[in-house]
Amino acid sequence: MAGLELLSDQGYRLDGRKATELRKLQARMGVFTQADGSAYLEQGNTKALAVVYGPHEMRGSRSRTLHDRAVINCQYSMATFSTAERKRRPHGDRKSTEMSLHLKQTFEAAVMTQLYPRSQIDIYVKILQSDGGNYSVCVNAATLAVIDAGIPMRDYVCACTVGFVDETPLADLCYAEENGGVSSLALALLPRGGQIALLQMDARLHQDHLETLIEAAMTACKGVSKVLDEVVRQHLQEASVLTGE
Amino acid sequence: NMSPMKLCVPGDKLCSAEDCIPGTGVYLRHGYIYSSLAGYVLRKNEGEELPVISVVRETETQLLPDVGAIVTCKVETYKSFRPGDIVLAKVISLGDVQSNYLLTTAENELGVVVAHSEAGAQMVPISWCEMQCPLTHAKEFRKVARVQPEYLQA
Repeated sequence: MAGLELLSDQGYRLDGRKATELRKLQARMGVFTQADGSAYLEQGNTKALAVVYGPHEMRGSRSRTLHDRAVINCQYSMATFSTAERKRRPHGDRKSTEMSLHLKQTFEAAVMTQLYPRSQIDIYVKILQSDGGNYSVCVNAATLAVIDAGIPMRDYVCACTVGFVDETPLADLCYAEENGGVSSLALALLPRGGQIALLQMDARLHQDHLETLIEAAMTACKGVSKVLDEVVRQHLQEASVLTGE
Repeated sequence: NMSPMKLCVPGDKLCSAEDCIPGTGVYLRHGYIYSSLAGYVLRKNEGEELPVISVVRETETQLLPDVGAIVTCKVETYKSFRPGDIVLAKVISLGDVQSNYLLTTAENELGVVVAHSEAGAQMVPISWCEMQCPLTHAKEFRKVARVQPEYLQA
């Protein structure tokens, strides 16, 4: 059958990667000085910018204040130039609202909100270029931004999108793979304890494959956590060199 | 008293709860102490049996005031202050569900620092409870803060 093969017989994917290989991950922390925390992250061709403000006093609706912990307010949006065709409605559509809710649930699991009662933490993520794995890239960028802001977290939150093709799990899907009929699953993991912060799938997958797919996702997330760890440590060392410690 | 500082990231296992007491920037889980911030590990011997372990960052961003923190605020009550005064107050409670922070000025060092008279000029303190306007020489009641002389500007 002519056409694009998601996984060739030799085990190569559309962009030449192997099944379990992640895309190249590059990131920088502290890209904005006016925000409390910020980070820029690229995973392959998907680029995301995350900005964190807080914790600060509740703004807007005081009725949403929680007496014993902080409220995490997430907003996900895509730049109009992020996709192949110019996006008409960058935020406010169903997909963005759902993503924002998932990001909120993910970070409520990791951030130690009980240290800041009656306050609010804002996490804004913008996709600058979309090439698959949007949710995962947002989570990874937001993790770095939260660490940059100095907000205490139990552990990193690392995410990865995986899919199933020909009995093989593929790690870190790109746009062509996501839209090529692959059953994709997104997993957000706290790597040190192996705890799952969020698991999301809205495709059709045979029950027998689920465990394999989750295992593959967890391995991929642990790979992501190694790279993020490097980025954080390097940023700390650079900061200490500047302050002359 | 303090050992050399080591880098750590959120989720790093620092030590067992039997070796150290958890301080700030760390959390306790299943008998072990983990870091919750990206920064440097600080072990301090406070004189108790176990050292206190905490994680600090270079830029100590004061995120939210805690009980006992000194804060500045503008106030609205007429008894010892007037609207627009700059006041030094202490946080005594984080408040309950409805209200926010509870502050006090019931100390010698707390109270009004800068106030303007009804004529509009900045007043000079003449006692702990009175301030005088330099233009009209009228005295007004304020609860004046006892600021250390070296912090007063001419």
